[in-house]
Amino acid sequence: MTYAIEAHGLVKRYGDKAALAGIDLAAPPGSVLGVLGPNGAGKTTAVRILATLVSPDGGRAAVGGHDVVKAPAEVRKLIGLTGQYASVDEKLTGRQNLVMIGRLLGMGRTEARGRAAALLAEFGLEDAADRAAGSYSGGMRRRLDLAVSLVGRPSIVFMDEPTTGLDPRARADLWRIVREQVAGGATVLLTTQYLEEADQLADEIVLIDHGLVAARGTPRELKARAGDRRLEIRPEHDTEKAELILAEVTGLTPHRGENGLLSVPLLDSAVSPAVFRRLEEAGVALSEHAVRRPTLDEAFLALTDTTTSGRTR
Amino acid sequence: MTAIPSAGGRRGALAQGMTLAWRSLVPLRNEPGRLVQFLLQPIFMVVVFVLMFGAMSGDPEHAARYLMPGVLTQVALISTNTTGMNLAEDIVNGVFDRFRSMPIARSAPLVGRVTADALTTAVTILVALLAGIAAGFRITAAPLDALAGLALLLLFTLALSWVSAWLGLKAKSVASMQGTATAVLLPLTFGSSAFIPPDNLPGVLRWWSSVNPVSHLADAVRALLTGAPVGTHVWITLACAAAVTACFVPLAVRAYTRRIR
Ligand SMILES: Nc1ncnc2c1ncn2[C@@H]1O[C@H](COP(=O)(O)OP(=O)(O)OP(=O)(O)O)[C@@H](O)[C@H]1O
Ligand SMILES: [Mg+2]
Repeated sequence: MTYAIEAHGLVKRYGDKAALAGIDLAAPPGSVLGVLGPNGAGKTTAVRILATLVSPDGGRAAVGGHDVVKAPAEVRKLIGLTGQYASVDEKLTGRQNLVMIGRLLGMGRTEARGRAAALLAEFGLEDAADRAAGSYSGGMRRRLDLAVSLVGRPSIVFMDEPTTGLDPRARADLWRIVREQVAGGATVLLTTQYLEEADQLADEIVLIDHGLVAARGTPRELKARAGDRRLEIRPEHDTEKAELILAEVTGLTPHRGENGLLSVPLLDSAVSPAVFRRLEEAGVALSEHAVRRPTLDEAFLALTDTTTSGRTR
Repeated sequence: MTAIPSAGGRRGALAQGMTLAWRSLVPLRNEPGRLVQFLLQPIFMVVVFVLMFGAMSGDPEHAARYLMPGVLTQVALISTNTTGMNLAEDIVNGVFDRFRSMPIARSAPLVGRVTADALTTAVTILVALLAGIAAGFRITAAPLDALAGLALLLLFTLALSWVSAWLGLKAKSVASMQGTATAVLLPLTFGSSAFIPPDNLPGVLRWWSSVNPVSHLADAVRALLTGAPVGTHVWITLACAAAVTACFVPLAVRAYTRRIR
């Protein structure tokens, strides 16, 4: 068994629409695989297939070396799942939720209580531990959901958009928890819509759209291809002149946006002072300038279609 | 206890079912306000059917003897609603996704729910019976016969809660489950001999009431509580309960296992 998570040509159709149109995934043990993609890309569908909740219409997948269709029971012994929407029992308290899962996994009463207390502390839920989960805020609910999925110390963890709806601090906490899981030897597959998150956590990123893999690679590789940051300028006039200068200094073809907005990928921070100096020398006044990180959409465009990325090299 | 290798852990399917029954009952302890549902409804039914309808008839005592077993039947069967509703809620809330991704027996979430609901149904029946006794109803059969009557009622209810479970697992939402269950339960309970003898009914209603299995149940419960001859009602009721269980336990388990969505 070389991969903890492995999928080949996964297909899932809903009606005549393909949620997954044949994707391959692979995560070695102890790594974090980030599955990145916009709404409707097929992230949740992929996670649900790997977590044995949905059967694929084509292709095959193995988790911990066990086929998800032929040996779902074996797979379930290894995995922890945090779904896209928190799946806690709202009528139970946080503690009761955790104890219930521990008991279901075969722990004795004392062991289950101990594990629940430890997780409540780790996830900062001690104050709310004995309140019904239905009264939790969205972020608390997510944290409880995550804690619940870790009760059995799974060696393979699936997290579907674990940080959507979390405030920055809770997000940082979650990142810490993911890293701890990995340090403890677990393999994590997490989906996200945030490039930054995948960048922070993932060893390898798979970018999917419309049920197909659009790009894959380490965060470094993908960012280099996406152009990471972009330099944007909006000249008050002389747009043509500014465009020439921008091209000359950066060696890239600037992208022309609305209202004379020009932008180029910023591969080297020293480039922007040089651009500004040359523009000043040429007497081009700017009404606006900024260095911007690419949005997922832009990264996505850049990664899926190199002809629109503005590269000339 | 290792019939289901997928059960995992040190405990078997039964223990998992009991954990989940505990989980279904705990909300009542967390929030005792939920108990009102189990206490108020049976009392209300006794007030309306035994006291008010009884007062309308010339002979309230005689009416109570007929109506009270009907109220018990009605109250018990309506309580099966909660099984399907709670299951539908578990699906909508994603709780079942969690269970299905865990190494536990396929039957455990259903067995847990049905067991918990059987307990609350027993309480509901008991409350109704106490209210009925306060309203003037008397058990005139031998204690064992009366117990057999209550046990028969509980058994039939248990069978029906698997139908409710199946409906709940198939439903798209909690509200649609409730709608379907009501559409099934109302004709079954009110269109039976629970409150009115079929002989007194016109045409189609009379026919429906006489073929309705709930009529046999109500008649059997009535006979067992009041010491009247039971005839074939008990056997027909047992046969119905067995048939319903044999059909709907596998159907419900399959609906649960089927990988929806
Ligand atoms: N049960 C279903 N029935 C019909 N279509 C579905 C179902 N589940 C998913 N789909 C469709 O499959 C596609 C992929 O959905 P999926 O939920 O996997 O996307 P996602 O990447 O998780 O999106 P999001 O970021 O919005 O969560 C979507 O077009 C969706 O409408
Ligand atoms: Mg999703």
